[in-house]
Order: sequence, then C-alpha cells, then structure tokens
Amino acid sequence: MNVKQRLPLMALITVVILVMGIYGLNWYKQNAIKTLTVNFTAVVGDQPLVFNQLNYQNPGGPGLFKVRDFQFYISNIKLISADGEYVEPDSYHLARFDNDTTSYAISLDNIPNRDYQTIEFSIGVDDTANGTLTSKGDLDPNSRMAWSWDVGYKFVLFEGGLAHDNTLYPLVYHVGFDENYRTIVNDLPHAVFENPQASVQFKVDIMKLFNGKADLNMVELPSIKFDKEDTRFLADNYQHMLIGVTDR
Amino acid sequence: MRVNNTGYLLSAVIVIVLLGGCFFAEQKVKTTPLTGFSAPFVFGQFTTPQDNPLTNEAVALGRRLFYDVRLSGSNKLACSHCHQQKLAFTDGNKGSMGASGKPLAFNAMSLVNLMWGPRHFFWDGRSKSLEEQALMPIEHVDEMDQDLDELIDELKAVESYQTLFAKAYGEINKQNIAKALATFQRTLVSANSKYDQYLAGTATLTDIEEQGRKLFVAHPDVKASLRGGNCIDCHSQFLTGGFNTLYDGFTNNGLDTEDQLLPGLQAVTGKPEHKGLFKVPTLRNIALTAPYMHDGRFDTLEQVMDHYNEGIKTSSTLSPLIVEANNIVDGVRVKPSLNLTEPEKKAIIAFLHTLTDHQFITNKAFSDPFLEEQKQ
Ligand code: HEC
Ligand code: HEC
Repeated sequence: MNVKQRLPLMALITVVILVMGIYGLNWYKQNAIKTLTVNFTAVVGDQPLVFNQLNYQNPGGPGLFKVRDFQFYISNIKLISADGEYVEPDSYHLARFDNDTTSYAISLDNIPNRDYQTIEFSIGVDDTANGTLTSKGDLDPNSRMAWSWDVGYKFVLFEGGLAHDNTLYPLVYHVGFDENYRTIVNDLPHAVFENPQASVQFKVDIMKLFNGKADLNMVELPSIKFDKEDTRFLADNYQHMLIGVTDR
Repeated sequence: MRVNNTGYLLSAVIVIVLLGGCFFAEQKVKTTPLTGFSAPFVFGQFTTPQDNPLTNEAVALGRRLFYDVRLSGSNKLACSHCHQQKLAFTDGNKGSMGASGKPLAFNAMSLVNLMWGPRHFFWDGRSKSLEEQALMPIEHVDEMDQDLDELIDELKAVESYQTLFAKAYGEINKQNIAKALATFQRTLVSANSKYDQYLAGTATLTDIEEQGRKLFVAHPDVKASLRGGNCIDCHSQFLTGGFNTLYDGFTNNGLDTEDQLLPGLQAVTGKPEHKGLFKVPTLRNIALTAPYMHDGRFDTLEQVMDHYNEGIKTSSTLSPLIVEANNIVDGVRVKPSLNLTEPEKKAIIAFLHTLTDHQFITNKAFSDPFLEEQKQ
C-alpha cells in the first residue's frame, strides 16, 4: 500500500483519536489522578548547606567541620487517608543535595483521588530489601551505599572533615543495620491537592544528626560505622532530622 | 489519486505528523537484537542509548572497525593497538604509544563492563558516552591521527563495509562509525572469573583468597574489631569499578601531593573540589593490566598495595575514607596508612588474582576478525 492509498484510512484514525481525546480529557477531569512532589532542602542548623566549606561548628566540641558528601535513603512512602492508602511502588530514593538548590525532590504519580491526611516514609531500607541484591528504585548493590553482602546498605552517609589544631581530620559517619530503620509520620498541609502542582516541603537539618542525648564531639568520635551503640545514637538523632514545613 | 480538497489535505497532514513515525520505522534497516547476550544479575541493570540498541549487525561492524588499521592516518594502527584482548584490552605500556610515536601522558584503560559504572569515560571523565568517545582517538594526532572525511571515503571504497554498514545502520558516516564502535565495546563483558564463579556458587575461594575478599569489602572499624582494606569504598563490590551515580565514581586516592596534583575531573567540571580526582578503574582482570594508575606509575600489584598501605600522599582533595581507614586504635593523627600486615596485603593480592577471566581474553567474539579470515 502506498502513502496516497492510506490517506482515507488515516484520516479516519485521526478523527477517532481526537474524539477519544476529548472524552478522555473529561473523564480525567472528573476522576483526576493526583501527583505530589515531596521536596527536601538541606541546611546545617540555621545556615544553608554549602559543600566543602569549613563553615560549621563542631556540635559538641572545638573546631569547624565541612561536608563533602551527604546522602540518605528515603523509602516506603505512603499517603494515608480515612478511606485508603497510597503506597508508592519500589519506593527507594537516594536523597542527595549536591546541586544548585541543595535540595532533592520526589514526584509521586498516579495517586488515587482521596482526602489524604498524613504522609509516612522511612529513613533507611526495610529489612526485606536490605537483605537482597535485587536492584529496585535507587537500590543498587554496586552503589556507594552498598556496604558488603553481609551487612546490606548504608542508610545515611556523611563524609567530610574537621579542622582543629591546624589539622584536617577526616569525618566518616555511615549508618546502616535493620534496627536503625526509622519511620517518620507527618501531617500533610491542609487541602494540599487543591493546587494542581501539589507539593510538600521538608527541611533536612544535618546538624540534628549530631544533636541528641548529647551533642556529638567530632574530635572524640570522628567516625561511626559498625559500633551498634554509636550507630543507634545517630539513628535516634536522624529520626528528628526532617522538619515538615506544613500549615497545620 | 489527486488530493484537491483543503480539508482533506489538512487532515492528511495531521495524520502524517501523527503516524509519521510508522513510515520511518518501515524504511529503517532491518536489524536483529543481539543474541545470546547476558550479564550477571549482581551487575545490576544496564541501558543502551535509545538510538543505538545492541544488534548483531552493529556488533559485527563495530568489531571489524575496532581491529581495522584503516582507522588510523598511517593505516598502521587500530584501536586494538592500545587495547589488546590478551591484556584485557590494555597495552602493557606506561603511556600508550600511538601515531606520533610520542608516549601519551595516560595509561590505556581496560575496556570491560562499560555499560556499568561511571557514565563518564577517560581517566578525567571528559567524555559522556561511548559514542562521543569513539571518534576522539581516531582524530587525536598522538593516537590514530586520521581525518574523519578521509576515513569515510576509505570505508566507502571497501565492499565489505558497504554491506556491513547497510545491514547495521544504513549510511557510512561519522555517527554510525561511532555507534558501531560503541556497540562492540558494550559487548565486552567479563563475568566468568573465579570471583564470578564463587558468587554464582560454582567455585570456592582458597583460604587466602577468602581472607583477601573479606579485607577488600570491609571498611575497617577498630571499635567493632573489624579489619579492612577499604577497597570497596571506591571499587564497587561486584563490578570493582567506580560508582555510576553522578561523579561518585571519581576520587583522589592519594597518588600525589598538593603541588603535584593534575587537574583530573576539575578539567571537566571546573570545581576546585574536583582537582586531582580520577576515574576509579575496574579491577577486573587487574593481574593482566599492569602497569597501574592513570600514568602507569606502578609496575606490580605489590607496589599498588604498598601505595595504599604506606605511600598515601596528602592533599586537600584526598578522600577522607583513605585517611580514616587505618586499622589502629586512635591512629587518625598519624600519617594515612591502612596499617595492614604483610600477610594481609598478600591476601588482597590473592583476591585480586581471582578477578582474571580467561574466557574473556580468549573469547572469539571479541577477537580480531581479520586474523580469523586469514586463517580460513
Ligand atoms: C594510542 C593508543 C590508543 C589507541 C589507538 C586507542 N586508545 Fe582508547 N585509550 C587509550 C588511552 C591512553 C586511554 C586513556 C586516555 C585518557 O584518559 O586520557 C584510552 C581510553 C579509552 C576509553 C575509555 C575507557 C573508560 O573506561 O573510560 C575507551 C572507551 C577507548 N579508549 C576506546 C578506544 C577506541 C574505540 C579506539 C579506536 C577508535 C581507541 N580507544 C584507540 C589509548 C588508545
Ligand atoms: C578512595 C577511593 C579508593 C580506595 C579506598 C581504593 N582505591 Fe584503588 N583506585 C582509586 C582510584 C581513583 C584509582 C585510579 C587513580 C589514578 O590513576 O589516578 C585507583 C586505582 C587502583 C588500581 C590501579 C588500576 C589500574 O587499572 O591502573 C588498583 C590495582 C587499585 N586501585 C586497587 C585498590 C585496592 C586493592 C584497594 C584496597 C586496598 C583500593 N584500590 C582502594 C580509588 C580507590
């Protein structure tokens, strides 16, 4: 069949497509599937995050520290309403902030239209995913967040340096282990979905990682990796590292 | 049939725009998806550019181009001059020697498992895709010193290339030369070393290899009595190369002091914190790819281990992971060193030898097609 012989058929197809499009649009308006952007912006205490600058006071001791790398897993995002939940599939996001806006955004698509009240997610990787080598979402066994097969993923990674006594000391805080998985629940702003570009904002305060029962002195504890007590200390702190910017 | 009605014409135009794709698809060259291609699941997913899928035709063409001396101005050197299969696609030289006979400042990189790991090529990451990379050595005066238009004319005069290009892509042009070379290189997968067999459960490591593996994958933590060589902090667990996310696969492993640091990744990003950062190379087939590092400064793996154990030079961009990993209590304040024992260093080297893949260096699919034809 050559092009010219095809024309009538294709004209018909066009009309059908157009009609379907108009009906589809109406249907869509009534049953709108929602999208939501969850935004995370990193700060250090009351200062903006600037990587590789010795700008920040050692939380529990002398010296200034800098951040070379800061990344953490946000997983299993859920939106909860009285009449049902939205659960993001393959919900494993590696949040990182080395960009112009020191922020990280997650877009949730295809959210059924309901009156959601709360957003829930976790810092870390759930024990099921932490115990396999399957790549899902941002989980990748060859990534820098992978530890070694025996221990699964790092949940939170902080690497940097502390200047003190005219020396630059390396700072390495890597937290993993199933027991350090922490779930965070936050109210959603009122009528968030009325805005077609719905979004929620979180501030990520890196300083809070070191503020807990006591404030961590980086001179005494410049690195935390496998020690159970030390990693739990950081996990208890990062539970409070995200601050929801909501209007409720 | 005559089209004489404007309404009709208009809808015809819309239709052609909408369905134009189908016509082009019909006109396209008929290719077949690459058969028998697989990679271990622990390597993770891979993607190829949408406009350059892995096809049998492209691989056949790319392989021939890779081994063809026509790609150089002198018609004397092919890519395989510096990337030899028996050396896991390196050349054994400190700095590679090309068209000008002047050694290059850089050591030839192994071409293996290129679909995984950093999405930036060359030691300093200056190339963003294998397609973009492929034409660079051809034109480089110190490498192959070939004018691309001349090359295209040369290839057009060869009957076998007329057929191979027609089957794989269509026209003989720059883009298609690059695409074919990229495709062939993507098939260079090494996944049958003793380590792979161990991971698949079909081989066991000896005691010393297993000790080396454990040290390789462990970041030391004296508080938790864990000794480690720290290698996995940069050389990923299964691929043993740099990480694929952004520039995470580039780092400074302490080869030079501040005043000796080369720009490295800084040449690409312009950021001072990237000064002296180089691509973390794969360690697959590492026993075959001496000499080591971007300038080939170390001849043996023993020297490499000595570097990580007692040769680290400090600079402002040195990885904190290197400084911090010292295997001794309260040892941060002394000179950076892994403080491994001699047997521990030997164990890591024994493990590195399990990354040699004999099937990879003898696989006929990766070998010189011209030699094969001569034999026939
Ligand atoms: C004269 C020797 C020489 C020739 C010929 C040569 N290369 Fe290379 N190749 C090198 C060197 C040296 C490097 C590292 C250079 C650098 O980083 O600046 C390299 C790097 C590469 C890389 C980057 C690998 C990575 O992991 O980043 C690829 C891909 C590559 N070459 C492909 C080719 C192809 C394809 C050809 C033929 C068209 C070719 N080379 C010809 C010497 C050569
Ligand atoms: C901080 C990151 C880092 C760590 C930790 C690290 N490496 Fe490397 N490695 C690199 C980088 C970057 C290069 C390339 C450096 C260059 O040439 O400028 C490299 C190069 C090498 C090479 C040479 C490869 C080649 O093709 O020339 C070997 C071998 C090697 N590393 C082995 C190891 C071993 C074994 C360990 C653990 C004891 C280790 N590395 C730990 C980053 C690292």
